[in-house]
Parts: sequence; structure tokens; C-alpha cells
Amino acid sequence: MPSASALRIEIERKLGNRFPAALTPVQRTIRETAATGVPEIDQLLGGGLPVGAISEITGPASSGRTCLALSFLAQRTNAGLVCAWVDAGNALDPESAAACGVNVKRLLWVRCPSFIPQAKGKGWSRPNQVLSATDLLLRAGGFAAVVVDLGDLDARHAGLIPLSAWYSFQQAAHLSRTSVVVVGKSAYAQASAAIVLECVPSKEGTFGRTVLHGAVFEVRLAREKTAAPLSMGRKPPVSTWAADCAWEIER
Amino acid sequence: MSGELYACLHLREFPLQSHLRLRPDLKSLPVAVLDGRPPTETVCSSNQAARQLGCAAGMTRVEAESIPGLKLLPRAHEIERVASEVLLECAANYSPRIEERIAGTQRACVLDIAGTQRLFGAPHVLSGRMRESLAGAGFYAAVGVSANFHTAWLKASSLNGVVIVANGREAEQLSSLPLSILQLPEKEAETFAAWGIRCLGELAALPEDELIARMGQAGKRWRDMALGRLPHLFQPVEPKISLKEHSEFEPPVEQMDALLFVAAPMLDSLASRAAGRALLLTCLNITFGLEGQRTHTLIVRPALPTIDRKFLLKLLQIELAAHPPPYAVTAFTMGADVGRGSKVQLGLFSPQLPEPSRLDVTLARLKALVGDDMVGSPILGDSNRIEAFHLEAFTVSQRPVVTDYRPRMALRRMRPPHPVQVRLHDHKPVSFHDGKQAYSIFAAYGPWRANGNWWATEDWDREEWDVLIAQEQQAYLLVNDRRQKRWYLDAVYD
Repeated sequence: MPSASALRIEIERKLGNRFPAALTPVQRTIRETAATGVPEIDQLLGGGLPVGAISEITGPASSGRTCLALSFLAQRTNAGLVCAWVDAGNALDPESAAACGVNVKRLLWVRCPSFIPQAKGKGWSRPNQVLSATDLLLRAGGFAAVVVDLGDLDARHAGLIPLSAWYSFQQAAHLSRTSVVVVGKSAYAQASAAIVLECVPSKEGTFGRTVLHGAVFEVRLAREKTAAPLSMGRKPPVSTWAADCAWEIER
Repeated sequence: MSGELYACLHLREFPLQSHLRLRPDLKSLPVAVLDGRPPTETVCSSNQAARQLGCAAGMTRVEAESIPGLKLLPRAHEIERVASEVLLECAANYSPRIEERIAGTQRACVLDIAGTQRLFGAPHVLSGRMRESLAGAGFYAAVGVSANFHTAWLKASSLNGVVIVANGREAEQLSSLPLSILQLPEKEAETFAAWGIRCLGELAALPEDELIARMGQAGKRWRDMALGRLPHLFQPVEPKISLKEHSEFEPPVEQMDALLFVAAPMLDSLASRAAGRALLLTCLNITFGLEGQRTHTLIVRPALPTIDRKFLLKLLQIELAAHPPPYAVTAFTMGADVGRGSKVQLGLFSPQLPEPSRLDVTLARLKALVGDDMVGSPILGDSNRIEAFHLEAFTVSQRPVVTDYRPRMALRRMRPPHPVQVRLHDHKPVSFHDGKQAYSIFAAYGPWRANGNWWATEDWDREEWDVLIAQEQQAYLLVNDRRQKRWYLDAVYD
């Protein structure tokens, strides 16, 4: 009895001339990636976050979004590259960044205050500042990664960012080979994002009895632009990873 | 006298030229400079267009103002002093021995150019180069070259363009010049006029002994000058190296764009003067004199020394937009610090880094967008205090530091901390209310005391609790400010 693979080869040979498109493997773009520093997520993404594209890390608070973004920056800054953090909520904790291994001297932190008064009574709102700052950084070029931290912005406000802005960021990121990482409560960039990671806190935490030791997070690859579409009813790939607290270093 | 060679750079209407060299917008207009104290000011200097309208030296302000279309500027000695320094610097590029001559509104630099032929070419070539160099600095000069100091000066002050006086033909070349060029005292000038002496040729033809008998040694000196054989003891000045430009405005300027029009030629001048010494500009110090005797200072410091005028002007424009002068500007001074260029070894496989000049402009724009103190690299302080960090100017010169990097739970700070009401049970928080919603605490770790001095036990006034919210699986940093007896949400673990 012929094996399944032998049968398949025979069928493909007979039908190959009549239905070439059906049997030709779908072309897949192999993107350059950069490791996130979390082996589980790198395995899930097939190497890491894409270079020259927008990646979105979404989820509620305490879902590991910031930790994952900082871990990615740690990898990039310690490779001799420079990165930027556009902070819409002025929420970055430099101590946490340093504890994650980010070389803070190679990190440009742009803190967006709530409102900057300008001449003639006009002012910059926070999302506008974030957009302008990100645009400036991408057009300057030379930054390996730009993290756009919208983690504290209400999804209703961040959702008002026009899709044209995300599209222009995608184009600029592609030209400057910059990884744009958007941290937010939900996905905002839509089709401009190469990948969307959904983070949720896992119920199995390593909370400890007297001291908070760390947490376990779940990450779901909600969308990958270059991947083949998932068949109906099939769950997207999920990975689980853990992060210790900073004081666990010496344990 | 053989072996001597002098070149005289002669600038007429120096007060006006000093103004116009930084105000190219006024060059095509009829302009006159007023000297003296109000209301007795008189015209001391004017350009050709103004003279064609009838403006003349010595006119009062009222007379000058009656000429339609005539632009009047006040005489500014600071502008003339800076222009004089620039003039000397330009001249010093061709000879180290320079003597300065000032006569009324005329300014001259006489250069000892003996022996420079092999370096700069023949006198007419050198003269052309000097005129071009001065034109680049905004000056229009006539050049006279002669083996006699006074002849070079007299020829340059009497004609436009370049005049080369051949050796031995000084008397012939000077003979047609009017006697007034010697600027004789009034009494002697009247005497010569009574004798019918009107040009230097006629003066030179007078018998020497009789002239000395009537006019004394001064008469001999004037005759020798007219003959082109008066010796001169050269008194060189030392050009002071000071990269500074100054301009004043009447009426005061309120629009920033107008300032940039003046800043551009200033930057040109500073950059070319620095480049002449193989130096680059490291810092621009800009001081605005404002109405009401106030001043406003800006400092533009590119990451790398440069003489790229376009780039420096862009930085200045951004800085000016971020920190505009609060009042109308009456004076504008731009100074520059200089330094050597940086040497960077580039490599084909070196990592992708921002280009320094573009990064500078980007940082300046970011600062203008979000504020000066909101952009930079966070540098941790050597302290256990909360938020013990400061922002440093972002640069890319550091070598990579390989540190231990593992994913760690990160804090997201709430700046300022969010006040909450906390319910305690057995001295441990069991729930809190943030003003909108109540959260029950699933687990609370603490208290961890912070923000105190180790030598004073009572100052440990900040208690931190790591709390887990039951319903949302979120971890927060809850802070009890014991001094103020208030609770805050300080950060969230993420």
C-alpha cells in the first residue's frame, strides 16, 4: 500500500499541469526579525519582532506588555543600537528599564506632558504630541526601535489616531529599518501593523507567600500580516512566559 | 624704499557698510546713518541711492526725513567695532602686518604685502582676492597697491576698484589728485588755495626750500607725500580673535522671521572666519537686547562641531521658536565658541545609528514639542530614593555596555500618584477605592518602608505594599504616606 506522501506526489504530478496555482506553495515574505529576549515569544514569532515594521503589544495592565517591550529594548541597546521610548502617559520607570537590562544611556525617553501651551492659545494634546514625536524619530532615522507607549491612554482616545498616521509610520519604519512597537490597551494600527500580540495575565502566578516573586503571562499571536490566514475555528498560537520581580536577581 | 610693498584696503562710508553687511534687505534701498544725540542728529554716512535723492553728509534729521523713501539708521559704535574686527580678520588672512587708519567715516587697513607674491600671486591677483574676501564679509573696498605707504593709501581713498602704482611712478600717479585728499588744516588749505595750488601735482612742483620757509616741516611732509616718497614707520596692529557679530534694529523687531534674515549672514560670517582657522563652531551664544533694557539669551549647541550654516540656522530657528524673546528685539549679538572637528571611524558593519546633525535637529524639535526637560536619556542616581533619576542630553557616543538582561516585571509609574481610599484589616489593606470603583485585594505584600534617612528612624514615612487585585489579576504598588496619612496608587506592575 503506497504511503500518503507517495499518493500526494502522484496526485500533484497528474494535476500539476491543470491546476498550477492550487498546488504551488504560497509565497511567504521572510522578514528580518529581532529577538525580544523572551525565548517563548521568540519561538512563537519565529525569531522575534519584525524589523522595519509596526508590532503591537496589547492587553490590560499587569499583562506583561511593558516588560516585553523593555526586554526587546534590552536586546537592541546591548547590541550597540539606540532606541527611543515615546511615553504618552509619562509612565516609564527608569529603574525597571535598567533592571530589565536596558542600556539607558542608549535610550531616548520622550515624555509627553498632558498639555503644552503654544502661541495664540493653541496647544498640543497628548496623542498629537505622541504622533509628532514618533514621526520626528522615524524620519530622523538611525533608531533601531521606537516604542510608542499608549498603555495608559484610554482606548477611545488612542483609537482616534487616524489610520493614515499609522500607515505613514509603517512606511517610515520600513525605510529607516526601525522596529516600531506600540504598547496599548487594544490594537490601533489595524492593517499597518505587521503583528499583533495580545497579552493577558495568567492565573498561575508566582506570587509567593510573603513577597511578590513574579508573574506569569500569556501571549496570543492575534495577527501576523505575512502568515497564511488561520482556518476557521482554529485558535491562534499561544505562549506562556514568566517574569521575575527585580529583587529576584540575587536570589 | 626698495623691497617695500603695501596694499591699502579702503572702505568709504564705514558706518553704513557696518550696518548693511548684516542687513542685505536694505542694500538696494536709499539708506543714511544719523550720528549725534537727539534731536541734533546729522547724517554722517549714506549710500549712492540716498545721495541721488539729495541726501548729503551733515544734513539734520528733519532734512533727511523730508526725503521720501530714505531709510534712516542710528549710528551704532558697537556694530562698527565688530565690523572693524571682521575687517582686520579678513585682512589678516593675507598679511600678518596690518596698520589701521581711521579718518572720519572712512576706514582703511594698510597691509605690508612684501614677499607675499609667491603665496598669493602678483599684486593685482592679490588685490582681486582681497576684494572678493571682503565682499564675502559684506564690505565694499577699494584697493591701492604701491611701494610707498602713503601713496597706496591716497590712491585707494581717491578711486574705486583696484589701483596698482608702479614703482617710481608715484608722483605721476598722484599728481591729478585734489589737495583736499591730504586733509590739511583749514588755515594751510586756505593758503594753498590763495597760491592757486589745487592738486598734488602742483604741490609737488613747489620748490622745497621755499615751501619749508613758509610752511615749516609740515609743508615738506605734504610735498613728499605728493611726490610719493614720504617714509612711514609702520605700526602694525594685532587682530583680536573674537567670533562675534552684532546688529541693532530701529524700530525694534517683533517677528522672529526677520531675526533669522539677520542671523543667516551672521552665521555665514562666523562659519567662514572659523573655517579660516581650520576650526568648527561648537556653540552659538545669542543675546537679544530687548525693549526696556532687558536681555534674552539662547545657546545653540550642536552635538558635533560644525560650520554647516544651513544646519545651524535650522537649530537656531527651532530654538527661537521654542524660546522666543518676550519683548521686541532692539539688538542681536551672536558669538561663537570654536573647537576642533571630531574624528569618527566609520565601518561597513557598524550598527545603524542616527546621523549626528539630523539627531540634533530632531532633539531640538522634540524639545520644542514636549519641553526642554522632557527629552533625554534617563540616568539613575546613586540612591535608593524613589524616582532617583535625571535626564541627560541624549548622545550616541557611548560604547555598548553588556549587562545581564532577563525579563523582569516592570513598573508603570503614575505621575502624579493617584490618591485612593484604603480599608485596612489587621493593619493590612484589604480593599481600596479609587473614586470610581472599589477593588478588593486578593493578596498584599508589605509593608516595605522607603524614602527615609538611615540615620533617622522616624523619617521612614513611605510604606509600600504590593497588592494583587482579585477580579482583574492586576498587581499595583500601593503607597502609604505616613506623614500626610494618605494612600496613593503609585505604580502598576506590567
